[in-house]
Amino acid sequence: MTAIDWAVLFAWLIFLVSYGLWRGRGSDTANQFLLAGKTMPWYAMGLSIMATQATAITFISTTAQGYSDGMRFVQFYFGLPIAMVILSATAVPIFHRAKVYTAYEYLEQRFDSKTRSLVTAIFLIERGLGAGVALAAPAIALSVILGWPFRLTAVVMGTLVILYTTTGGIKAVTWADVQQMAVITASLLLAAIIAVNMLPSDISFLDAVRIAGAAGKLNVVETQFNWNDRYNLWSGLIGASFLFLAYFGTDQSQVQRYLTGRSIGQSRLSLLFNAVAKVPMQFGILFIGAMVFVFFIFIRPPLTFHPRAEKQLESRAEYSQLQSRYNEAFERRQSAARAIKSGHDAASLAEFRSSQKQLDSVHADAVKLSGEPDTNYIFLSFVTRYLPRGVIGLVLGVIFTAAMSAISGEINSLATVTVIDIYRRLKPGATDRQTVFASRLGTVFWGAYAIAFSALFGQGFGTLIEAVNQVGSFFYGPMLGVFFIAFFVKRVGGTAVFVGAIAGELAIIAVSRTTHIAYLWYNVVGAVAVIAIATAIQRGAGFSPRGASAPQP
Amino acid sequence: MTDPHNIPDEPPPLLRTWPQVYVSILVYLAGVITLFYVFTKAFAP
Repeated sequence: MTAIDWAVLFAWLIFLVSYGLWRGRGSDTANQFLLAGKTMPWYAMGLSIMATQATAITFISTTAQGYSDGMRFVQFYFGLPIAMVILSATAVPIFHRAKVYTAYEYLEQRFDSKTRSLVTAIFLIERGLGAGVALAAPAIALSVILGWPFRLTAVVMGTLVILYTTTGGIKAVTWADVQQMAVITASLLLAAIIAVNMLPSDISFLDAVRIAGAAGKLNVVETQFNWNDRYNLWSGLIGASFLFLAYFGTDQSQVQRYLTGRSIGQSRLSLLFNAVAKVPMQFGILFIGAMVFVFFIFIRPPLTFHPRAEKQLESRAEYSQLQSRYNEAFERRQSAARAIKSGHDAASLAEFRSSQKQLDSVHADAVKLSGEPDTNYIFLSFVTRYLPRGVIGLVLGVIFTAAMSAISGEINSLATVTVIDIYRRLKPGATDRQTVFASRLGTVFWGAYAIAFSALFGQGFGTLIEAVNQVGSFFYGPMLGVFFIAFFVKRVGGTAVFVGAIAGELAIIAVSRTTHIAYLWYNVVGAVAVIAIATAIQRGAGFSPRGASAPQP
Repeated sequence: MTDPHNIPDEPPPLLRTWPQVYVSILVYLAGVITLFYVFTKAFAP
């Protein structure tokens, strides 16, 4: 990184934090701090919802997925527009009219305090783990690229987030996200243009797409149904719909965003904006990964993308032999790609696949020898090696703040739930001033927790990140089942739904232990189990369906 | 500031009713998936 890059990176960080602080001023009542006074326009909420999901992992991991596995991951997002339409018609008007700060507050209105407590506990466990990972995962990658100690990177990111989230609450979080999203889009477009422009002069954009297709990277839609396949059309349309229904309909980190809307219509538009924009955006990010793959067909990639591992390898006795095998495979693959560009015959395709296999094998040996997986460094390596000066600082700065954006939303929602669903129930007579103070304290607590979690457990938990992401699917299904009953099944009461939620959780554990079905289906299993079991219990035991019936959407 | 206890609903800025907006989003999704399917087939190895 040059001085210009460092200057751009710090200028962007300072701008974003200052902007968040400025926009968050005046957040000194509970309604302002937690719901932005219900004044937010649709585009701010919509971009903020999108920014919360466009985390640093999106840049680092999704592009890597496009590079190594192709574009089939986009099918995961096919369920999102369906979920957004359903939530716009149901959850948005119900939550608005219930006049709640959190989704779980509504559960006590509809059922009883134990159901609210159960779902609150599930949220705090699930989102609390998520906040730690959201900070640790990008801090690991950025610390390697920036050359900073890992713990320092996590502390800097966490402290900056705490600073503007504690001061300005949801308003600061939302407006900072709007800026963030604009720069994310611009820097992704820039990276895509540069990747294509830096291809050899005889390789056109269409050639690059054709080569990516021949390499199997443009596998966007897979229509064949397979329970065990994580990403296909059906798991996306059905399994992911349930996941997104649960995420946007029951997870306070998302519900809180659209509760800040100045009207039901504005909140609906914020979700529908995501329904339209999210799938093309993910397509674009994965396509960048596929183009980076083509780029590295013509520009020799390093033996490993992990910068520290690459240096370690250079001092190993096996290095020159690995290099020579790698160079040979690279040359073979490049020749085959040029042949595909000219004619796309079966022989050149077979040669391409064979050389790719050889290249992958040498790469796997290098990764094994270094002991450092390099998937998360593919895009970062491309950025730091090939983007122009200044742009490197901007893209790294955006990745840095993308991580901050995700964490700010998470600790803000964790603090809100802690205050509204725990503190205010323990202290019902709390004044507005005390509530705001408790919210700020809650933000500092959850921010400090995220920093401590990542500092203590962050390094060396690559597989844990995947595990924690999948843990969401263990919890979201039952939460969705509970809210489905709350909204639509008026005769089922608190005790039946409480027992149903626990049984639904056990059903998911049983399915995960006895079958190999992809984790997206856990959301369906959990939701359906809760609905079926709670309804059966209500009918069989004849509990009184205590609580108000669901408001009409 | 909007009174938080008086949350108004409003018609959509495009089309006449919200259900029409929802249907158009689902038609859009079907169009995007079809386009992606054609893209996949066009560049399949």
